[in-house]
Amino acid sequence: MLAVAALLVISSAAVFCQEDSLSGSPRQSILKLQAVEYLYPEQVSVPAGKTSPVTLHFRIRDNLHINSNKPRAEYLIPTVFSLPENSGVKLVNAAYPAGTDFTLPADPDQKLSVYTGDFAIQTKIVSTPGNHLVEAKLRYQACDQTQCLPPKTITVPIDVIGK
Amino acid sequence: MVTLLSFALCWSLCRMNDRSMTSPTHSRFYNTNERSKAPVKRNTIVIGITLLVLATFAWAGWANWMYRKQAAERALASASHADLVPSAPGDVPAGGSSLTGKPAPDFTLEDLSGNKVSLSSYKGKPLLINFWATWCGPCKLETPWLVELQNQYGPKGFQIIGISAEGDDLKPDDKEGWAHDKAAIAKFVKEEHMQYPVLINGDSLAAPYGGLDAMPTSVYVDKDGKVVAMQLGISSKDDMEEHIRKAMGEGQ
Repeated sequence: MLAVAALLVISSAAVFCQEDSLSGSPRQSILKLQAVEYLYPEQVSVPAGKTSPVTLHFRIRDNLHINSNKPRAEYLIPTVFSLPENSGVKLVNAAYPAGTDFTLPADPDQKLSVYTGDFAIQTKIVSTPGNHLVEAKLRYQACDQTQCLPPKTITVPIDVIGK
Repeated sequence: MVTLLSFALCWSLCRMNDRSMTSPTHSRFYNTNERSKAPVKRNTIVIGITLLVLATFAWAGWANWMYRKQAAERALASASHADLVPSAPGDVPAGGSSLTGKPAPDFTLEDLSGNKVSLSSYKGKPLLINFWATWCGPCKLETPWLVELQNQYGPKGFQIIGISAEGDDLKPDDKEGWAHDKAAIAKFVKEEHMQYPVLINGDSLAAPYGGLDAMPTSVYVDKDGKVVAMQLGISSKDDMEEHIRKAMGEGQ
């Protein structure tokens, strides 16, 4: 019975030793994280040469916001989606969602137009025939309630198949 | 670890069983009509203990798995929970080590007119080195406070140095990019009536000044050139004034 008791103690200790080693891992700096993540679609199939609607979905990290495409102040950097030239796919139009009102605690009188959480951009594209791995871009500038991260441009990879 | 323990346990149990079966004393002891019942009883005990130990291992494995799962969820939550609460004075700014208690790293930057300005030229003065950007809402919000604080404490020898850090990683030969930045900075300075020195290319000070991952970042320096507080993000005018008084050697 002693052996059993010892084993119980040892196995419990083993569990908690593993707990310690896990909790000791370094915590990643939140400021180094990407504020916006592209969700989907990864691949779209569109009729070649015809204007086709494609809705792109993005997610903003909790407690962060980014300026909408039409921020209320001139000095703020708008969120803009773009396609590279000569990619075989042309961006005809991008319809951005309306921003939601947001006020900084330190300045409750000023309303900002921002995106938070998930948002989608409704694009219209024209593709040439063939398979195009397009590296689209989304430029944005993120803040929380007290500070702002530098403007950033992320790559939005989309496999566009023009049939 | 678990395998080794299991092996050790099985070995111990087998030894116990062997001994009990081969021991003459044991044989004599059970050399009655209980003889046939004894091994059954022993086997029951051995099986019971084995099951208990296996159950223990199963529990340990389950508990460990649950803990790891919860820890992973906590890590994910803390990573995505980007609640950028302004750091308390002396806190470590994200992305860099705290400068508090250390000498403020020296620098030489240009102002909007192209004049070179060094930190060392302010030797002996309590300072607030305020990193800001034209696209930063909280920076715009706190600038009027800075103007007022410079007016209030300037006559007592205090000095604010504004340093623009636009975060666009311009190359030195990108004339168009620099011209665009300078125009935006000059507009901001004019609109906000910033009467204190404003320098450009603060991004070049990211390494010595703890990363400058977010704007605004304020570094309070005493007259001996030592950093007495570092503030990441906007707080309040009262907080700034408190830090300024600390830099000036008042209200310690």
